[in-house]
Amino acid sequence: MDLLGDHEENLAERLTKMVIDNELEDPAIMQAVQTRLPVQHPGGLNSSIWDGSAVLRRIRGPLLTQEMPSVSVLDYALPQRPPQARDEERDLSERALPRRSSSPVIGSPPVRAVPIGTPPKQAAMPNFNQQILCPKPVHIRAPIQQRYPAPYSERMSPNQLCSVPHGRMSPSQFARISGLVSSPLPSMNPKLLQGRVGQMVSPASGFRAFFGAPPPPAPPSAQQQHPPCPGSHLQNLRSQPQMFRPDTTHLHPQHRRLLHQRQQQNRNQHRNLNGSAGDRGGHRNSHQEQMQKDSYANLMLQREKDWVSKIQMMQLQSTDPYLDDYYYQNYFQKLEKISATEEMHGDGPKKERTKLITPQVAKLEHAYKPVQFEGSLGKLTVSSVNNPRKMIDAVVTSRSEDDETKEKQVRDKRRQTLVTIEKTYSLLLDVEDYERRYLLSLEGERPALMEERKQKICDMYDNLRGKMPSQDRPSDDHFVQIMCIRKGKRLVARILPFLSTEQAADILMATARNLPFLIKKDAQDEVLPCLLRPFSHVLYHLPLGTVTSLLQQLANLPHNATALAPANLHLSAVLQNKVLELILFHLAGVSSQTELMLMATRELLRIPQAALAKPVSTPYNLLTLFSRYVDQQKLNFIGPLSSGLGVLLPLVAPCNSLLYQREGKGGCTVTVRITVHLCK
Amino acid sequence: MNYMPGTASLIQDIDKKHLVLLRDGRTLIGYLRSIDQFANLVLHQTVERIHVGKKYGDIPRGIFVVRGENVVLLGEIDLEKESDTPLQQVSIEEILEEQRVEQQAKHESEKLKVQALKERGLSIPRADTLDEY
Repeated sequence: MDLLGDHEENLAERLTKMVIDNELEDPAIMQAVQTRLPVQHPGGLNSSIWDGSAVLRRIRGPLLTQEMPSVSVLDYALPQRPPQARDEERDLSERALPRRSSSPVIGSPPVRAVPIGTPPKQAAMPNFNQQILCPKPVHIRAPIQQRYPAPYSERMSPNQLCSVPHGRMSPSQFARISGLVSSPLPSMNPKLLQGRVGQMVSPASGFRAFFGAPPPPAPPSAQQQHPPCPGSHLQNLRSQPQMFRPDTTHLHPQHRRLLHQRQQQNRNQHRNLNGSAGDRGGHRNSHQEQMQKDSYANLMLQREKDWVSKIQMMQLQSTDPYLDDYYYQNYFQKLEKISATEEMHGDGPKKERTKLITPQVAKLEHAYKPVQFEGSLGKLTVSSVNNPRKMIDAVVTSRSEDDETKEKQVRDKRRQTLVTIEKTYSLLLDVEDYERRYLLSLEGERPALMEERKQKICDMYDNLRGKMPSQDRPSDDHFVQIMCIRKGKRLVARILPFLSTEQAADILMATARNLPFLIKKDAQDEVLPCLLRPFSHVLYHLPLGTVTSLLQQLANLPHNATALAPANLHLSAVLQNKVLELILFHLAGVSSQTELMLMATRELLRIPQAALAKPVSTPYNLLTLFSRYVDQQKLNFIGPLSSGLGVLLPLVAPCNSLLYQREGKGGCTVTVRITVHLCK
Repeated sequence: MNYMPGTASLIQDIDKKHLVLLRDGRTLIGYLRSIDQFANLVLHQTVERIHVGKKYGDIPRGIFVVRGENVVLLGEIDLEKESDTPLQQVSIEEILEEQRVEQQAKHESEKLKVQALKERGLSIPRADTLDEY
């Protein structure tokens, strides 16, 4: 009786079977083995661990993780090998080592005999050929989700593939390894490649769902310039709100295409180089010379360079480029817009901008389930890359009001304001993004999007003004707090275009009411001028009554400007000046209410001359209005004017220059008339 | 041939002469032979160049394999422009001596500074004793 507890003739058979590892993948063979299980040796040693299937399976343990590329969760979960699963349950309690979770996606990364960072030993070509040979229809879970060829890291390295014993491989293993075959790039022939570019959209439906637009019709020439096609992907994939991880273990077809084209070109180049005639550029010759002198050149093979490129390209894949790579995408859009407008002017395409292709990949839903064993007490605490462990148990404690000192309260209030600003900023970014989402969405979804947008705008406004509902918003306090912070001011400037007229007017009034305080606080930041443009925009749309009250508000303000330190005088004065000018010019554009004009002009004149800056925007009919004014109320007007004669002239001058540009003589005569009046 | 516009890749730099600055302050000059995805470098015919003032000295080092995380920056050396430099090459012994002198002087001044601060009740922690994270 031997230790294995088997009959001797069976032992010999088993040993031979152990050698031919690959065939164990085949469930048919496995089943055959199991049906020949010997009767367990009664009593004595518990030798069931040495039972046939268990033995064989254990022995090929390390190889298992290599040879079984679980390409998708579904594949892994398919009941392909129920007998094996059942066996495991029985054997687990008796085994020395628990079976490792071999899924690369769920759980710990698998143990590898060949580490992931290993470049291919042999050419990657055989791999692709095998893909053609054995097309396996792949079960695609949903039209959106993608199946790619086996992840590079999970694929058996070509070295292993080629060194299969006896040169045989079971078809199922083959197909599983090569995974999805709908990658349509089998050939390395450039002509074929060009011909097949049209066929790039694979017959498998999964791919078609992914590629919205057809691939570029003309295959890129040797310049490697790829027309940017960011929109095509976006049209077909909508970003989902849940946190899905991108399936970055496979190389996107676009990138693979790039890689192959590069390989093509390299081969062509090398071929050309070898047979170079004298008419090649001098650069090429010197290059060749250099290569000849440098006998250590090309230690890194092209294949290896491509391999590194491939890894880099894989890193560019993301589920939502607009989320992961926001700035580059927007920047490139701006560039495209500029070049489009330039093109429209008839200059022709200025320069072709090559965009970095950051393709969108499908998201895979991952529900991490930690490895569990039947009959064991407790769970394994496994912390891996996909499932990080919580390191710190941080508990949020809320403070009570009594304990705090005054300074703490002040600090908390400021912090509260900062938090409000951040929240409102998030809302703002969302709202600004709605335009893009609108374009991408279906017809049915658009009303919902609009609703969301409106709701967010309301929320933003509430945040700005302080959500304490109740009365009539008696306190501007919340708003002023926000405006004291530099980021808050920029926030208000960006939000203003989205607000409705009354809301915007409300903001304006609040600003006007607290203007001196804000100016004082802004001394360090100097950010208030950024508000001028949106404010002027709002002003243009305001009804007259509002403007009137606004002006009155400004006029009634205590003139703190002069009380301030001289250093601040200029800025604050400029500010007030600008606001007043805005209102003045707006009034001029809207109507000719003499009293108001008078008031505005008086305010304007009170500002010292040095601080009078160029107006923000000058309506062209300003002078006509002035002239009308003069005719109506000669005396009243001239009074203040004469005192501020020197002041007004600079004001007239820029208006004048503008008029010269637009209307010729008309403006001229008006100017003359005014100066005449002024001199009197 | 630009592999990927808008990105940086070392693949174009292979087989060219490079100057590599490491985190510990060493300067290596060599031919970049191989890279990987972590920007680990294989430098061939490497020379460690020590700069002191206007002088420099080269120590031939052979083949270097540099772990990517230790590289501060690297740049290609234009072979034509390499020779017109205002710096003066000296022998290894001389440059090592110069370096030692420079280190000593720096150390002295540092000591004085720390002393002065200590007298005033201040202490600035040294950068190398700070935790990295």
